[in-house]
Amino acid sequence: MSALAAPVPMAVAAPRRRLPVWWMILPALILLGCFLLLPYASILVMSFREASTNAVYGPGLTLGHYGEIVTDGFVWGIVWRTLRTGLIVTVATLLLGYPVAYHLARSRSRWASLLYICVISPLLVGLVVRTFAWLIILSNSGLANTALKWAGLIGRPIIFLNSSLGVTIALIHVFLPFVILPLLGNLQAINPEVAMAARSLGASRARTFFKVTLPLSMPGIQAGAILVFVLSISAYVTPAMLGGSQGRTMAVLVVQYLVDNFRWPAGAALAIFMAAITVSIIFVYLKLTARAMRRLP
Amino acid sequence: MTTLRLDTINKFYGALHILRDIDLDIREGEFISLLGPSGCGKTTTLRCIAGFETVTKGRLLFGSRDMTHAMPEHRDLGMVFQSYALFPHMTVAENLSFGLEVRKVSPVDRTRRIAAVLEMVKLTGYEKRYPRELSGGQQQRVALARALVIEPSVLLLDEPLANLDASLRDDMRFFIRDLQQRVGITTIYVTHDQSEAMVMSDRIVVMNHGVIEQCGPPRDIYEHPASQMVAGFIGQSNTLAGRILGREKDVYVIDTPEGQLKSLGRDGLKGEVRVMIRPENIETAAAENTLSGRVVKSTYLGGGCLVAVETPGGCRFTTNMPADSALAAGDAVTLGFAARKAWAFAA
Repeated sequence: MSALAAPVPMAVAAPRRRLPVWWMILPALILLGCFLLLPYASILVMSFREASTNAVYGPGLTLGHYGEIVTDGFVWGIVWRTLRTGLIVTVATLLLGYPVAYHLARSRSRWASLLYICVISPLLVGLVVRTFAWLIILSNSGLANTALKWAGLIGRPIIFLNSSLGVTIALIHVFLPFVILPLLGNLQAINPEVAMAARSLGASRARTFFKVTLPLSMPGIQAGAILVFVLSISAYVTPAMLGGSQGRTMAVLVVQYLVDNFRWPAGAALAIFMAAITVSIIFVYLKLTARAMRRLP
Repeated sequence: MTTLRLDTINKFYGALHILRDIDLDIREGEFISLLGPSGCGKTTTLRCIAGFETVTKGRLLFGSRDMTHAMPEHRDLGMVFQSYALFPHMTVAENLSFGLEVRKVSPVDRTRRIAAVLEMVKLTGYEKRYPRELSGGQQQRVALARALVIEPSVLLLDEPLANLDASLRDDMRFFIRDLQQRVGITTIYVTHDQSEAMVMSDRIVVMNHGVIEQCGPPRDIYEHPASQMVAGFIGQSNTLAGRILGREKDVYVIDTPEGQLKSLGRDGLKGEVRVMIRPENIETAAAENTLSGRVVKSTYLGGGCLVAVETPGGCRFTTNMPADSALAAGDAVTLGFAARKAWAFAA
């Protein structure tokens, strides 16, 4: 029997123990634990510490900072302004972004990819640079006011800066991609024949949109809206640079507590307070939108 | 229920000429199939009729009404899509109700008509199900029911069986044809499956490269193809190039590399032609037309054998033989076929 004719042993893989799947998320879990949960925990602990004049916080524990916050009308005013700005930015980005996402999802034009680049362009420029550009455009003698005055629409310049107006405008610009991208993915996944079927059954474009396309795009709307809302109420650079004292938001106030006033425990309490408000709003929002989407696959 | 007329329909995408001079008269209650390879323009034609594609040139008439530029929602047609395109967020009943609500049908009538159409497609009791809870075949029937419940004047079907598995597809062919005949609705059916078109249609429209190659009843298309493309696309065929020498009564005499052959053909053929013989019409005995050659290959098909024969001139013929045929590769064989079973068309 020649060596060549010898039966080649089949490469049978030894039965190996399968690794549990959670192993794969372990690195991400460690990262989250070190850089998200631990800092949050330390802020939470700090928020119950007493204030101190010669250290970051004193040794004693107190609920006083929270008491101060919830009874302070000034804080509630800023909470209200922050949430109002977040809401306006969310609604505005949805209204502006939906048609763009819809067009991108359905377009067969070669210009579509150019439009796509335009959509994500706000993300390609550094936050500070972009906000600085808005500072120039929105100042009293800036591009916006000059143009409006030239067109004869206004007599006196509109006060964009040092107010919520400028912050809102700049945030809408920055966060537009965050509503377009989830919507785009969602709309692309909707079979275009479904809308055609509605038309063939006699529904007008408008009826087709409101009865078929819009309900089917709710997951995209939900994802985009929550992203923009959370990002805009926690935005810091834009309100800090454009808002001044009249456009101040919660995030700016927290930093003011910590850096300007050196009130670390009170600032920590304010941050926790803000996070609690955000989480409860998201909770209610998810409950409400889940009802609206319960019929979707 | 209405007649449908496509009057020299042309369609361009930019410089691309997608449909060229499509002329078609569809009778009331007729079942017409648009058949052709992918990219032949059959789906574009259907979408032009439905109003989802604009017609660049030509006219589209529903009865006597010009619908060339009407919106899809004003055309009063029912359409079934390849993907079924059911509304995923609506139950079966809501899917069916959609078109009726648009038409402002009263709730009582809606319930009655939905029940009636569900019975027709054998889905009574499925009203509250969502499309995702149904099998492919059931979704298909809901799509059909949704198109029929509005009692449209024309029914359009865009490869509705393409996503079903083979056995279900066979059942659904007869189911759809039967339903169409009971309702008596004018139907246009797009498919690339020739046997589907053959079984279901009153007439088949064979399309290729944006033109109609041939339009006629299935038998006519199969036995009397107008071109090599039709002969090749529908069923199996053997073709042979030749030149017309003359005509004896209704039989053409054609000079081919394999000698003179006699064949039927349309009136007025002259010059270069091709002669087509279907495999099932070739026997292993001398006949009006006789060829000789050697067996190249014999393939057992269960119900019979498919035997490939090559002539000394290098032409290859396939013929159907009984399953117990003893022919094997290398055997010399004489093939014969009747002049009435051969068909010539312009090359």
